Amino acid sequence: MPDKRHVIGLFSDGDRALSAIRALKGTAWPLESVYSPIPHHGIMEAVGPQKSRVGYFTLAGGILGFLSGIGLAVFTATRWDLIVGGKPVVALIPFLIVGFEFTILFAVLGNITGFLIQARLPDIGGLKRHCPACTGDRFGVVATCREGEEEKVVVFLKEQGAESSLLQ
Amino acid sequence: MRKYPFGQIDRTVLDTLGPPSRAYWLVIGLLGLGVLIGAASWAYQIAVGIGAGGQNIPVAWGTYLINFVFWVGIAHSGTLISAILHLFRAGWRNPIARAAETMTVFAVCIAGLFPFIHLGRVWMVHYILPYPNQRTLWPNFQSPLVFDVIAVSTYLIVSTLFWYTGMLPDLATVRDRATGLRKKIFTLLSLGWTGRHEQWRHYARGYLFFAALATPLVISVHSVVSWDFALGIVPGWHSTLFAPYFVAGAIHSGLAMVLTLMIPLRRIFHFETFIDRDVLENIAKTIILTGLIVGYAYMIEYFLAWYSHNAVEQEAFRWRATGPYRIEFLIMVVCNSLIPLLFFVRPVRRSVPWLFGISILINIGMWFERFVIIVGGVAHGFLPNAWGLYAPSAIELGIFLGSFSLFFFLFLLFVKHLPSMSMTELKESVGEGVGHAG
Repeated sequence: MPDKRHVIGLFSDGDRALSAIRALKGTAWPLESVYSPIPHHGIMEAVGPQKSRVGYFTLAGGILGFLSGIGLAVFTATRWDLIVGGKPVVALIPFLIVGFEFTILFAVLGNITGFLIQARLPDIGGLKRHCPACTGDRFGVVATCREGEEEKVVVFLKEQGAESSLLQ
Repeated sequence: MRKYPFGQIDRTVLDTLGPPSRAYWLVIGLLGLGVLIGAASWAYQIAVGIGAGGQNIPVAWGTYLINFVFWVGIAHSGTLISAILHLFRAGWRNPIARAAETMTVFAVCIAGLFPFIHLGRVWMVHYILPYPNQRTLWPNFQSPLVFDVIAVSTYLIVSTLFWYTGMLPDLATVRDRATGLRKKIFTLLSLGWTGRHEQWRHYARGYLFFAALATPLVISVHSVVSWDFALGIVPGWHSTLFAPYFVAGAIHSGLAMVLTLMIPLRRIFHFETFIDRDVLENIAKTIILTGLIVGYAYMIEYFLAWYSHNAVEQEAFRWRATGPYRIEFLIMVVCNSLIPLLFFVRPVRRSVPWLFGISILINIGMWFERFVIIVGGVAHGFLPNAWGLYAPSAIELGIFLGSFSLFFFLFLLFVKHLPSMSMTELKESVGEGVGHAG
């Protein structure tokens, strides 16, 4: 679709936006994206049921953290092999505490990294086509169409309950 | 449950970001003065040495460590409310979660100052960091003090990231309704958030993992703080009870501080619609639980001393209740475990003045609990010739005042510059037209 245009329909209700998304699937105008002020499970499932991969980053961070924490404690303790407080040089129980804290820290750092990469943030440039109402009280459904079909899409979205439709 | 239009929720929160009144600046000024007193006291101590404080052998751990434990404790209920109650899907926490998380971040920052203050020669703090000195000697990772550095630093980083990530959609809401410099600042802060479905998908997943990771962390952090004491062979400290005892006490004090902050906040910013009496009542009910656990721990400590047949341990606990610090002990028991029982009476836990008054008393009681544990332990140890008493010096009191002033100073700056209630979570729980949101 080389000469494609985007039309956004603004809905005051999440369920109406969901109905419009489902109705769009039966048309020649593919859904481009949906914007909403809150996470809406129905919309996320209707748009695409694929799962987020943030968890893999979290898991990788956690494993790396645990190994780093234990590794740091063992490495530093074995530099001089000093017995402190009657505990073994490589004392597993105290070192597990270090490993645990590092696990949480690195898992969280992995989590935030995964979230930013997957959500493609920061993206200040992406605000050029952003509709401010969609961070307030409106659900925005964006459909793609050929040049010249914009009016038809506007009428279609209004029939689905959109309060207003705009060219993006 | 009553539903509200999204626009009303936004307006209620965004109205708080308007130009502040003179009274606000007056309070900010007074708190700023308190911060200056604290800073001047610390500067004096740095100039003349740690002897400016009242700590001396045998009581080498005084108000600096008491304040450290107190503020770490205050920090705990923020994560309880934002993470643990989120996992339990307790919808009543939504209006207070943001302010509680903010309280956590500021309280951890202030707690983190006290080891620096207690250190005396603060410029030597890098010795605690994991790097080798010139003899390739590293910090001892078997020491609970090193656990503490790792745990509290992790908690600060995690709670700050959790707080900021949770605020991203709200920062975008403010950005889209702001003009001029504020718009530019919030454009940067919100990282270009648009509310696109893909962003929400990853956000929801990431937030869930944040909550799941913060939950064991919050339990571990105060357990580690308790091991600063429990791993020392000091009568009254050396007990396996300490970790759960400290965690329950931390949440107890944190919930009380949430009430202390929320009650004026809802009145000043007209948040009564969202932070209603049911929300306050639920906090009070949770305080009953934590108060009972804390009271149980007080009793069990005595039981353990009696059951151990250890004369030194028994003497430590006898002295704690009947010695020179008996008033502090009485304040601890009455404020932390007896007064919260008043919340069993429904009209009391639904009365705002009662809630506010009791929350203040619990805050006082929890500070004295740390006094009784920390000072009471080292003041009356194994050897009678090493017994001694302690009273904080004027410098310590100045730093104490400074820490409280700094906490409320930062919190007041926060409520006028960032959304103090989560608009997103409110819309999810009490918004009209939500459909299948969640």
